[in-house]
Amino acid sequence: MTIHSKLSTSLRLASVAVVSLALFGCATVKMPVPTSASADNLSTLKAANLAPAKAGTFVLAAGKPAAMDSTLDGLRGSSVEPSNGSFAKTLREELVVDLKAAGLYDDASDIVIAGQLTDSMVDAAIGTGTGKLGAHFTVTRDGKSVFDKTVTVDATWDSSFVGAIALPAAINQYTALYKTLAGKLFADADFQKALAK
Amino acid sequence: MIFNWRRWALGVAGLVAAATMTGCVSMKPYVSANLKEVPPSEFVKPNPSHPVQLLFNFQTKGVDNARVTAALKARVVDQVAASNLFDSVSDAPVAGGALLIVTVNNVALDDHEFAKGFATGLTLGLAGSVAGDGYIATARYTPPAPASLITKEVRHSIYTTIGNHAPPPNAVAAATMDEAATTMLHQAVSNLLNDVSHDPSFK
Repeated sequence: MTIHSKLSTSLRLASVAVVSLALFGCATVKMPVPTSASADNLSTLKAANLAPAKAGTFVLAAGKPAAMDSTLDGLRGSSVEPSNGSFAKTLREELVVDLKAAGLYDDASDIVIAGQLTDSMVDAAIGTGTGKLGAHFTVTRDGKSVFDKTVTVDATWDSSFVGAIALPAAINQYTALYKTLAGKLFADADFQKALAK
Repeated sequence: MIFNWRRWALGVAGLVAAATMTGCVSMKPYVSANLKEVPPSEFVKPNPSHPVQLLFNFQTKGVDNARVTAALKARVVDQVAASNLFDSVSDAPVAGGALLIVTVNNVALDDHEFAKGFATGLTLGLAGSVAGDGYIATARYTPPAPASLITKEVRHSIYTTIGNHAPPPNAVAAATMDEAATTMLHQAVSNLLNDVSHDPSFK
């Protein structure tokens, strides 16, 4: 390989990198802690006639890679990190915000909802974006297990070729899965039975 | 002529660097003039007065947007508190059970599915150098029982010109995108509160 061809190859790679950077812009975005309850979840909770509960420990499920709880890839080189350091704890906060808005959160309650993060992914692929979030939830009542189930939600959406459009959309779709997952848990007949007054 | 990767790469790198350094593409936001601010003095106060629980959610094409919700929530809470329609505003349930849910859904005005119903000449004919954002603001108010749900909706829009483009008609220039968003949100919420307060079922 001549010096000229080496230079050509280097410049080619450099130019591709520059163009990629310009098109997609690599960045790490902090995912906010939930601050507002979901209207749909509030409606579900209010209609269910439940006893107040409290949130217990939310952690990454055993056997899952540690990065699943702290970093979200699949964003064309960019990533999302939870602002509180843990996606499992972010899920906990989502449940707390919704339960508080419904008047169903009580730190002194004997009903404890706990969770283990089992799935967390997003793929901002060109064409169709996909996201998935799952957790194994348990509920104990006076120390006895009354609910034990894995709940998973997913989403698909049109995903642009342009990173500047596709990445915010993917991050938004992934973030919204926390409310969707909480809503699916609240609507679960066995969960409602476990928290029944 | 043989394709010269070196020349191409240098050219592309130069263009990207120039665009990045000079920031030659200017963007200017405008708020539609179709929706005017309604001052709290025009709201009809409930009698007797009572507190309200307030939920606010910002959505993008119908999907909850946690980042924008977190950024705008305090503004909406402050505006509802300043409306003097309620004794207090809270995240938690309140005595009497009054509940106000405000949702603002951001839609693209060049998206035919979402653009229906926007009262603007630019709705479906946007030129390539004007971007239109529609905002469907909805209030769902549940008064203290016994009462029925009141639902009101208003539509607002922000246009952004790109490059040296003439200002869109019937729109007011904003200095920054944040100023445009603040104006749009305040005007939309003021109209929602006004409409809710004038509903015969409001109490």
